[in-house]
Amino acid sequence: MAIEIKRHLDLRGIACPMNFVRTKLALEELAAGECLEVVLDEGDAMLNVPRSVKEEGHTIVKVTPQGNVFHVLIQKGG
Amino acid sequence: MSAPQIDLAALKKVGMIQQKQREYFALRLHAIGGDFNADQMRAIVEVAEKYGRGQIHLSTRQGIEIHYVHYEKLEEARKALEAAGIAMGACGPRIRIVTACPGEATCRWGIINTKRIARNLDERYFRQETPHKFKMAVTGCPHNCAKATENDLGIMGGILPSWKKEACINCDLCVSSCPSGAITRTDDEYRLDESKCIHCSICTSNCPTNAWEIAKKGYLIWIGGTMGKLPRLATRLTGLIETEEELYRLVDKIINYYRAYGRKRERFGHMIDRIGVEQVKEDLLHGD
Repeated sequence: MAIEIKRHLDLRGIACPMNFVRTKLALEELAAGECLEVVLDEGDAMLNVPRSVKEEGHTIVKVTPQGNVFHVLIQKGG
Repeated sequence: MSAPQIDLAALKKVGMIQQKQREYFALRLHAIGGDFNADQMRAIVEVAEKYGRGQIHLSTRQGIEIHYVHYEKLEEARKALEAAGIAMGACGPRIRIVTACPGEATCRWGIINTKRIARNLDERYFRQETPHKFKMAVTGCPHNCAKATENDLGIMGGILPSWKKEACINCDLCVSSCPSGAITRTDDEYRLDESKCIHCSICTSNCPTNAWEIAKKGYLIWIGGTMGKLPRLATRLTGLIETEEELYRLVDKIINYYRAYGRKRERFGHMIDRIGVEQVKEDLLHGD
């Protein structure tokens, strides 16, 4: 199933919690069901952002590691 | 001025420690998991001002010490503290105050009730004699904020995750965020390597569809951690222990074992290395 990525956000080098804040703001501009891709650093970012995204009611649909960063695809909740 | 004629060992036992300024003592206070209420804090401030020099020291074990109390004022200071519900601490070769993180009561990661366990340990063992100092810590989860692994005996909350295929959307977040690389994927199957799992609950907290669920919750016991001159990180004694009853049975066994085989002024971890980790585990888990 191909997922259309509505928006892409490069959050490499952005520390917690700003990486999540920017993710949240980007998601606010999407409609329910649309997808945002963020690029996160390994470590704290990967520990915190996905959990916060879940708590806000969105769904992570794919995580793809690439070197020491991760491409995380998030579908906006309804 | 000559040194006061006092029983230093008896004072040390109750956390009254002679300073290098020999007429003065540091009063080490009892605490459990670093908790004091506002009334107690006010009483501590008053005692520090009235009997000391208003100097209060926060110890590395979540305790409080009041410094510069003159030896003639020790009993009065102690009575004033006791009136506010604050007991004295401990020093020397005995079981010290128990440290703890906030645990499940307030922390999003907390798995166990750290404060209750710390209180129980304190009630059972505080100030009892051991071959050398003996420190215990209770930490709510494997993030290990209370440093269970730097204590002679550490108790850590943990979970065992299990995976439900029907709920999984194959996003791979678990594979990418497991801190110990315990989760692998083959086609549409995710597998947990229990020998690598550190029981931290990151997979179950993160999983977007709750395909990873908590199958078991419990306690992990770490033994033989110490800092000091010859630092040694603790060795994990057990997998998840599911009942508090079993936890206390093992804690009792561990402390008795140290009392039976520890040499004078030998820390528990160094005793474990002398006897051999495997032998100690065997004795504690399968011995009488």
